[in-house]
Amino acid sequence: MSTGEEGHMAMADRGSRKRRVGVKKGTKAARNKKQKSKPSTSDRFKVTMKNQKLFQKRARDYNSDDDEEEDDESKKQPEVTIREKIFSDANMGPNYEEIEEEDNDENSDGEDHGEIESGITKFATDGCNAFKIAFKAIMKKTKGDDTLGPVLSAHKHLIGEKLAEDEAEKKAKGQARKAKHLIAEKGHVKPGSYLDSHEKILIGVATKGVVKLFNAVNKAQHAQKGLNPSRSKDAKVLKKRRKEAFLSELGKTKTDTKAHKSEDEAPVWAPLRDNYMLANPKLKDWDKKQETSEGDDFAGLSGDESYED
Amino acid sequence: MGRFKNNKKSRVIVKPIPKKNQEDVSHVTGDKIPKSFVFSRMKLPGPVKQLQMDLRKLMLPYTALSLKEKKRNTLRDFLNVSGPMGVTHFLMLSKTASSLSLRVARTPQGPTLTFKIHQYSLASDIAQSQLRPRCPQDLFKSPPLIVLSGFGSQELHLKLATIMFQNIFPAIDINTVKLSTCQRLVLLNYNKDTKLIDFRHYSIRLQPVGVSRRIRKFVQNHQVPDLRNLQDVSDFVTKAGYGSESEGDEEAATVTLSSDLGRVNKGSTKSAVKLQEIGPRMTMQLVKVEEGLCTGGIIFSEYENVDGKKEKLKKKQDEEGDEEEEEEDSEEEGEEGSEEDGEDMDED
Repeated sequence: MSTGEEGHMAMADRGSRKRRVGVKKGTKAARNKKQKSKPSTSDRFKVTMKNQKLFQKRARDYNSDDDEEEDDESKKQPEVTIREKIFSDANMGPNYEEIEEEDNDENSDGEDHGEIESGITKFATDGCNAFKIAFKAIMKKTKGDDTLGPVLSAHKHLIGEKLAEDEAEKKAKGQARKAKHLIAEKGHVKPGSYLDSHEKILIGVATKGVVKLFNAVNKAQHAQKGLNPSRSKDAKVLKKRRKEAFLSELGKTKTDTKAHKSEDEAPVWAPLRDNYMLANPKLKDWDKKQETSEGDDFAGLSGDESYED
Repeated sequence: MGRFKNNKKSRVIVKPIPKKNQEDVSHVTGDKIPKSFVFSRMKLPGPVKQLQMDLRKLMLPYTALSLKEKKRNTLRDFLNVSGPMGVTHFLMLSKTASSLSLRVARTPQGPTLTFKIHQYSLASDIAQSQLRPRCPQDLFKSPPLIVLSGFGSQELHLKLATIMFQNIFPAIDINTVKLSTCQRLVLLNYNKDTKLIDFRHYSIRLQPVGVSRRIRKFVQNHQVPDLRNLQDVSDFVTKAGYGSESEGDEEAATVTLSSDLGRVNKGSTKSAVKLQEIGPRMTMQLVKVEEGLCTGGIIFSEYENVDGKKEKLKKKQDEEGDEEEEEEDSEEEGEEGSEEDGEDMDED
């Protein structure tokens, strides 16, 4: 078929020359290279009048819809100028910009236009109708629409809807999160100022308690400073003093109770009582060596009160 | 050892970090040292988790600081672990949409007090609100003292609360206690009008009294003073600086120490006691007292009177005494006192 021919011709062409400098692959010049049966190096870019007329006819055939007649006529002129410019200048770049300025009324993208124009001739030879119809439809739709380009109009609606949905969702989620946060923080109070009057009162109460305790400790420990607990005589005095001091302190501090054992009521469990080991003569010297008989144990009891509690 | 995996479903996934060399029995008083678990059985939101951590630090050293609980741990799991470890009290936090509550319970069968927390502040909030937050190194190495005020001895549920809190912290013996170990203080203040309990946590600091500010700062902070403008060292020492406003309060808080406490506070000289707040601050209300560990009959309820109180009374009287016989005593006394006035109190 024709494509096969073209392919063959392209191969033959390429045999003589590996790469065309300044010619991009998909452009008209490259296709011309394939299509023309007689490759002439100097005439490559020049379109002969005969060829030009042929191309125009093909384009007209391609653009042979009824409502496109005016476009055809307006297109003709630009077509010609475009092609001349394309083939007169090896470098395609600047041509595209010029094309854009000319075709402002019609199409948004001059580059596309140039490409498409050259594509039209190719497809005219191929006879692809479906593309022609689709393309026409698109071109019709996108008149005067510059923002997203011709192909994305339906998509734009979808995007718009999706964004709106996302926003609504985010709002709902944000509100739910805020409500959750409020519940989590319920009751959590950050103190504004460090010491207000209520706090001062509380600190005062606590300080009084500590002072009482420290004074009691001081009294008790001061009293026992001079006494050595292992000496029996002192130990007796020690115990007596301790008990007195403790009870007197307790008498004062009944309203502010502290973490000592409360000795107001004798604890029910025997070892908790203060006189646990002392009352029962048998238990008193449990740590003494049991080498002597019971009689000795009893004898040694009265003076020895090293273990009281 | 990789082939045989333990069947985790049958294991209790409660991982407290056991303290080595921790005594079960205090050598001072002969009592068992009370230990506690602070935990919650539900997932807690952010600030409440921090509150739980603060409470754990407060209960140091006799608590499990890094206690990890999983969803499938039930109260029974905790009970099972508490036996061998010698844990005596549970503090449970729970948060619902309407309220935050703290339950203080005595294991294994002891009463449960439920407090509703109206307001709380975290330790970090308080540190932020202070100019000079203070946290010395060994602040949490010894258990805190506790001061209870305003509870009175009339109302039974209050009495029970008093005893419970007293027993949570280990007792101290004034004859042998070293004042350097008393570094923290927990205050519970009951307000009769509003029935709210204020919970505060302070750190104790002792400052020598009668020493001018500059010298004291010099000695305490080891900062070399600026003597540029002075002619003689005596100027520095004897310059009369204006006293701070808290010096007036110090008079009432003066204590004579029995022994030396650090470099600055020497024994037998006067020192002032200064408290600075650390740790969480809570305002709570006692709403419920239950007999058992989160179960059992309701002894006291703030909002409604439970019917059939008498039957429950009888049940309780038939029960055997616990270790905490004082509590039992007071409960029973309280019960009977409330039901029939003028009847004698029972004593075991």
